[in-house]
Amino acid sequence: MGKILLKIEKLKVRVNEKDILNGVNLRIKGGEIQALLGPNASGKSTLVQVILGNPKYKIFEGKIFFGEKEITKFSPEKRVKLGMALAWQNPPQIKGVKFSELLEKISILKGSTSKYRFREVEPQLLEREVNVGFSGGEKKIAELLQILSLNPKLVIFDEIDSGLDIKRLAMVAKIIKKELVDKGVSVLLITHLGQILQFLKPNLTNIMVNGKIICKESDFRKVLRTIKKYGYEKCKKCKFLAG
Amino acid sequence: MVMKNVKNVNFWQVNHKIKNIFERRGVKVLPSPKAWEKFNWVRKILKEKPKEGYFIWVKKTINLPLEACVSIASLKISQNLTNLLVIEKGIKAKVNAVCNATKNNLYATHKAKGKLILKEGVFLEYNHIHKWGEKDFVSPDYEFVLEKNSRLIYNYQNLFPPENLELKTAIHSEKNASSNLNFVINSLNSKIKIKDTVFLEGKNSQTVVRLKLVGRKNSQIEAMSQIFAEAPGKGHLDCQGLLVDKTAKISLIPQLVCQNKEAQITHEASIGKISEEALTYLRMRGLTEKEAIDLIVAGFLEK
Repeated sequence: MGKILLKIEKLKVRVNEKDILNGVNLRIKGGEIQALLGPNASGKSTLVQVILGNPKYKIFEGKIFFGEKEITKFSPEKRVKLGMALAWQNPPQIKGVKFSELLEKISILKGSTSKYRFREVEPQLLEREVNVGFSGGEKKIAELLQILSLNPKLVIFDEIDSGLDIKRLAMVAKIIKKELVDKGVSVLLITHLGQILQFLKPNLTNIMVNGKIICKESDFRKVLRTIKKYGYEKCKKCKFLAG
Repeated sequence: MVMKNVKNVNFWQVNHKIKNIFERRGVKVLPSPKAWEKFNWVRKILKEKPKEGYFIWVKKTINLPLEACVSIASLKISQNLTNLLVIEKGIKAKVNAVCNATKNNLYATHKAKGKLILKEGVFLEYNHIHKWGEKDFVSPDYEFVLEKNSRLIYNYQNLFPPENLELKTAIHSEKNASSNLNFVINSLNSKIKIKDTVFLEGKNSQTVVRLKLVGRKNSQIEAMSQIFAEAPGKGHLDCQGLLVDKTAKISLIPQLVCQNKEAQITHEASIGKISEEALTYLRMRGLTEKEAIDLIVAGFLEK
């Protein structure tokens, strides 16, 4: 495992007078796979949008570091340039823009050629408008193809396993392993159901409840078993709550 | 659209000077004042003698597109053009007409009155491309006469807008004539007024009019799009505006006037702003805010 790549310290975010993130602490090392689990509306998606610099969210306390740099106030494009990437859970439609055009733009910006290597994955997607009429599975594949074109150091996958059948999930996991994990890229998997974890086996699993990471566990199977049996309610009462 | 080889441009005018006239077999090309002097029938169509402009008379089908190019290349030039395009019965033709300023700051004035006559059974695709500098004043006023069974595809594109644009278009459609009009207009520090009117005068005449307007910084666009159904025809208006900047304003006024109980005319109009979510998404793909806006706008104009 490498040096610490992403460091989040006491992050607090408020939206419309409501606290969404209540002091999140997170560290991800180079080449590490971590998972973040939590119930609906626990703040997982907000956290990843904040990590990538979505201007909609205002940080009122805490800091984010990437490598040696503090990036708390960086624009999204600057963070991407440094090597961060996010696969969206529900990517928006970009009408009138072909998916191949977008991939080409990304490839030119990043000097990558991934789109050619992955042409065979879903060739019909390339000619369609970005995310317009894409099925749940197609959206996930399209996100993955863009991520690969970005040549990232850290990738956050927001619910990459939702809407994928088991065959496609296995294929996506295989690509993530081969093209990212095996090449030393750090991965943070945000998941509600945890299916992807069986394939990618995270080094550390975090549990988020009410905008705070309350548990960190190295055995993801133990976490999945507990949640399956008792739900996240058990986590809230756990005596080993993370700080 | 770029005129690749000026020698093949059928009519090429720079400022007030005609640089080139290139005729093809079955196509007569003249400066419009000369055509007015030469042909009695032209004098019946154009009541006053034109000062400048083109006359193109298509008598035979040709496979290549006809090209007309009118440019302004010097400071404070004021053009006052009268253009006449006549296409004889049953002919298929494509015309690419480019009007532009060669530099951004010429304070040019480009006034153009055009009459385009599609005789019976004609099919015409007319691509009208404008590219202006930020201090120019431009006012094209075009009238199309669609005789029976003729068909027109008219594409007007202005991605480099002048300071002031007043665009008027009128279409007269006889029996079974149909038209498809597409206006794509960008604005930046511009004041733009558009008025397009289609008269469905003959039985089964049809039209579809599409307007795509982009309001960028310090721009005002006012677009009035009308269909008058005087006969049992069909028509549809689709006006769409995209506001890119908070200092921009777009007014869309679709108007349907039905004077025949068997006519069917409809419209839809919408003005939206750029989706913040789409903008953020593209920025998270490494595009700057400006690059992301440009891509979204290009997509809007494309679809």
